[in-house]
Amino acid sequence: MLKKYYSEMKSGLETAYQQKPRAWIRMNIQLASTFTDAFRDDAKVIWTSYYSFPMELLAAFDVVPFDFEIATNLLPMFDADGAVEIMNRAEEAGYSTDVCSFHRLAAGCCMLGYMPRADLLLTSSYFCDGKAKANQSLAEHYGKESISLDVPNKISRESVDYVAAQLRRISGKLEEVTGQRFDLERLRECISVSNRARRAYGQMADLQKVTPYPYIGIPVVNMSIFGNMLAGREIQEQIYMDMVKESREKIMKGNLVPEKYRIAWLAWFPPQPTNITQIFRENGVTIVMGELARNYWGELDEGLPFESLALWCLKNPYVGTIEQRLKGINEIIDEYKLDGVVHFSTDACRHSCAAQKMIGDTLKERDVPYLVLDGDMSDKRKYSADRTQLLLENFIEVMAGRK
Amino acid sequence: MQYQGDKIGYFCSMVPVEIITSAGLKPVRVKGKAGMTAAADAYLYPNMCPYIKSLFTDALEGGDAAFDGLVFARSCDGMRRLYDAWKAYIPSKFTYMLEAPKNVDDLAVAYYASQLRDFAVQMGKASGSEVTGPALEEAIRAANKARGMMRDLYSLQKRTPLPVSGSELFNLGLQTLYGDENDAAGRMSSIYKKAAKRDGPGRGRKKIRIMISGNVMDRPDVFQIIENVGAEVPVADLCTASRYFERTVDEHGSDPFVSLAAAYLDEPRCSRTAAPAEIYARISDKIKQFAIDGVLLTALKFCDQQLNDIPYLVRRLSADGTPVLFVENDYVFSDRDRVRTRVEAFVEMLER
Repeated sequence: MLKKYYSEMKSGLETAYQQKPRAWIRMNIQLASTFTDAFRDDAKVIWTSYYSFPMELLAAFDVVPFDFEIATNLLPMFDADGAVEIMNRAEEAGYSTDVCSFHRLAAGCCMLGYMPRADLLLTSSYFCDGKAKANQSLAEHYGKESISLDVPNKISRESVDYVAAQLRRISGKLEEVTGQRFDLERLRECISVSNRARRAYGQMADLQKVTPYPYIGIPVVNMSIFGNMLAGREIQEQIYMDMVKESREKIMKGNLVPEKYRIAWLAWFPPQPTNITQIFRENGVTIVMGELARNYWGELDEGLPFESLALWCLKNPYVGTIEQRLKGINEIIDEYKLDGVVHFSTDACRHSCAAQKMIGDTLKERDVPYLVLDGDMSDKRKYSADRTQLLLENFIEVMAGRK
Repeated sequence: MQYQGDKIGYFCSMVPVEIITSAGLKPVRVKGKAGMTAAADAYLYPNMCPYIKSLFTDALEGGDAAFDGLVFARSCDGMRRLYDAWKAYIPSKFTYMLEAPKNVDDLAVAYYASQLRDFAVQMGKASGSEVTGPALEEAIRAANKARGMMRDLYSLQKRTPLPVSGSELFNLGLQTLYGDENDAAGRMSSIYKKAAKRDGPGRGRKKIRIMISGNVMDRPDVFQIIENVGAEVPVADLCTASRYFERTVDEHGSDPFVSLAAAYLDEPRCSRTAAPAEIYARISDKIKQFAIDGVLLTALKFCDQQLNDIPYLVRRLSADGTPVLFVENDYVFSDRDRVRTRVEAFVEMLER
């Protein structure tokens, strides 16, 4: 079922790209192509987490990286009711509705036989406990090995060495699973490519400082979640550079929709259909930055590939104590001339939601309007359009009062 | 800052009590507040683990005053946020976050050992009493002995009928974790002597034998509910019951920190690190050893680690023909009447 879905998505996007060659469409073609390739019989399919696993290591092998969370949670975008039916299947099998809808949906897809084959399942101990556990359960289902890259809470010589040593070991496991030799020079080249893409990404982030920013900005948040799928591959830099070019052209042309409110988006943007975009469009709200969209990780050192990938993990805002996350949020406020900050609270995202008050207190000190927007990423049963409208409109009023 | 007292609270069974003891301090597992946790909802999040919320509610009401320092561990997402909130909103004397790895292999053991060395240095600085090799070795021996006594008692529970009631044994274990260990040691010894004398099969009707498996539980409610309906609990696979006492630290290793790291990471594990198949294998083994008739699986509400394992465990155990009752709990079992009804029905079904 998913195979057909991704295949149709890919051909639809390719048609759209022919008519309107936009970088964002190209990015989504890459996503659909990767998911389609995961069903190829000759592919070595490595299940992973695009947004938290250092993908440069996978780019050093000829494998198809398949993110079960992102892949299955494209479904609610087009068929929210169908997604609920699949989640129901997982709930009937004993999954509590308190478990994240991302993981219930993935579990349901597995039970129904919709997923591609897995040769190895790799994830990370961060962002959340649920993902690492779901990875284990899915590995049991497929009778394959599950590996979680354990990323400690603090940056130290010991923690960098610990994560780097795990990555070295994972490269050995990838050799075993794929039958390919690990090539250190290829990894260095992937890191070099990733650094170039990072620089392009930095240019995008700078353009987002321009007022008015010419987009609603939801891709800014989404890109920070799945853009890393392409890390270590030339196409990532190409797409980012296309985005830079398109943004520049749009800014140069002027004649832009008036931007009334500039906000930062914290945590994730729901893939299921919502009225958020419409409300933002009607009220001149643009998302100019997401907390993971910030260029927080610095250049990777080609001479120390494993250590620099380890550091990339350790610097993630969702690793460590809350100070690491707050530091990033403060930097966004300093750099992006924000009118407000929205924290999307999908209720099973406990590690993120439990920081709401601490974030709120920080923003209060800085006198920045803050909204905690309750909802759910993929489960329409837990999303209320009316409540969202009420909360967002009230928030926009607060921001208007500050103008 | 040095402690004015000697009581160190800790929140997770991943914290090696031996290091605290060898710094001349007294480790006590922290218990959450029974009852409403609305105060914590305002600081954390309503859909958070009720154990975490109970701990924080208690701290907001001054409960942490009973401790001279607190040790957290990177147990789970909830515990990480508890540490953050504690530092932000509770004026504490001393807090320490222990970096417990979430993997179990040689790399994790080496990393954990490095973190335990730092923990020992910090404990020594705080207490003014440096953790020395001999002191740590002595603490390891003493803790092994105490856990061994409880393990011996649990091994007697393979008998029918039980020499010691499940709730009595559970309470005794809690006493070693939360109360006076010296008194507990005396009681353990006395109970063991009496129980061991009752050699061979006892008299009386065989009761339904239920095993409890889950995570943290520090009140005997469920044990009592099971016993009150005429069944018994020979073994409880909890981090506050038999699972905790199964841990043995190598007393003859070349590096005590490595021995501690290995023992604390590799001994019977909860859903935090263990894959569901490993937990299933352990439960299956206990079912055989303790002649279990049915398993009561329980998970803290909103515990993502355990809730993700439940479907697998229920499916595998049921496929083996083991009756399973799953009960989600809010840490204090505030819905104990509902639990009682379900347990009664479960036991009735097992008796048929």
